[in-house]
Amino acid sequence: MDSLAFATIKELKEKLSNQEIYVDELLDFFLKRFQDHDGKIDSALEVFDKQSILDQFRAQGTPISGIPGLIKDNICQDGRITSCASKILESYRATYDSTVCKRLKRFGALLIGRANMDEFAMGSSTETSAFALTKNPWNFERVPGGSSGGSAAAVAAGLIPWALGSDTGGSIRQPAAFCGVVGLKPTYGLVPRYGLVAYGSSLDQVGVFSRSVYDCATVLSATAGYDLHDSSSLNARKKDYTQHIDGNLKEDLRIGVIDNTLQADGMDGEVVTAVEEAINVLEKAGAKVKRVKMPTLEYSAASYFVISRAEAASNLACFDGVRYGVRDKEAKRLHDMYLNSRHDGFGDEVKTRILVGNYVLSAGHAGQFYENAKRVQRMIRREFKIIFGDVDLLIMPTHPAPAFKIGAFDLDKLQMDLQDYFTCPMNLAGIPAISLPCGMTKNNLPIGFQLIGPHLSEGLILQTAHVFQQNTHWHTLHPKGF
Amino acid sequence: MTKVTREEVLKIAEISHIFLREDEIEPMIKHLEGVLSYAEGVQEVAAGIEEPSIKRVNVFREDVVVKTDSETILAQAPEREENYFVVPVIIETK
Repeated sequence: MDSLAFATIKELKEKLSNQEIYVDELLDFFLKRFQDHDGKIDSALEVFDKQSILDQFRAQGTPISGIPGLIKDNICQDGRITSCASKILESYRATYDSTVCKRLKRFGALLIGRANMDEFAMGSSTETSAFALTKNPWNFERVPGGSSGGSAAAVAAGLIPWALGSDTGGSIRQPAAFCGVVGLKPTYGLVPRYGLVAYGSSLDQVGVFSRSVYDCATVLSATAGYDLHDSSSLNARKKDYTQHIDGNLKEDLRIGVIDNTLQADGMDGEVVTAVEEAINVLEKAGAKVKRVKMPTLEYSAASYFVISRAEAASNLACFDGVRYGVRDKEAKRLHDMYLNSRHDGFGDEVKTRILVGNYVLSAGHAGQFYENAKRVQRMIRREFKIIFGDVDLLIMPTHPAPAFKIGAFDLDKLQMDLQDYFTCPMNLAGIPAISLPCGMTKNNLPIGFQLIGPHLSEGLILQTAHVFQQNTHWHTLHPKGF
Repeated sequence: MTKVTREEVLKIAEISHIFLREDEIEPMIKHLEGVLSYAEGVQEVAAGIEEPSIKRVNVFREDVVVKTDSETILAQAPEREENYFVVPVIIETK
């Protein structure tokens, strides 16, 4: 049965179809995987009891029917706790299904638990979770990345074949790279945000973790498409993204390598070598590669920093102890109740981001910070648009260095914030990007790189990413002891 | 380098509805100064761009009444009375 642990959705589906295994047994198998192994990495905040999962199961003739998955704990599952890994929502139960969970259930997927994350998705290491410290399955002294660290770690350790995460500035792609799995941030508006607890609403996007690109396409197909409940939802028709995966590169595929990212300060030599090797693989497969420069990328982290904090300050104003969550019961006045509930309910990182956000939005500072950040965003969008007139896809690293040690940035929070350096430009531009495993360091830590495309180019990205996986073995490596 | 005063931090904390303990104020000032100085980086490059990237599009839909079960929502209230959320005193009477 252990061979099932790292099987793909596609392989599991074949076994179900051939009746080599039944849904019930498959569920048992993955519940046991968590029971036996999650104590080592703490990827899940909760794994639901079997009966409650099966109660919601309706077999469907879809590629994901009967296949278990894990959901990041900021995505609402009706009747289940949705804590955002925050004390303030510790016992909050979602009163409805997010659109993505609703669609997945309708497709027959089994949603078996809640993945750990940075509190309110604010962080790059999953260390700001109020409840658990998730470890990187490749090295327990290292972080899994973040903020969707629980989702990435569970998929990497073979505890689950797929998981959902959310990506505001890199929160799917960076942990995917740190844990050696596939992580896709779709085009802004392609996957509905209804039921995703908002962090930076103009940047947030729900996306997929898996070990194979084909599986990623399967889960994307189940979740993407227009939703009436999300006013930023794109009018994109539902489609089957696996149709794009035919094992061939697009004819005359042109790929641009963003050279200045590989030469950036602080780039780890092993990461550069691995990304260069990934470029060679695609070139050998027939892609036409050219080197390009994107000078404004250097300003994207600062722009992202300002915009995301500003939106977070607005979005998190609703957590005030009135309707749900933690309340200071001692407060005699309403105003004190707000102040104390939020002081006690939020962790330090969240409080800091709210304060920064209100500072950059406040009278006297908004022009200097917020409006300038929006100007830079416009410039970044323009630069991507021009470059996509010349190439079909872009390549750059996902992260400057492999997974860092737990606690490494405790004394230097700004360095932690800069983890978003290579990932946030795509959120600012609203374009899709996938992180793929492309190597291992001498210390046996995964390395990832990004394939980036223009709006709604998920089909081309997945097609190309699949060819990359056909020509490499990195996605077939697994951490020891699982 | 952005300088942040104690008064500014207290004002922002007030706007943010977050209480800061005395020992939390100084570290917050230091942190804000550090990150805001970094964020200032947007200014040099933004100088050459006229319009910020703000596109306003209204998205409308029909206002259809959908039945919801208010009990599941009210059941999570820290304090309630029948169909109301109960909060501490808002305006004190003399």
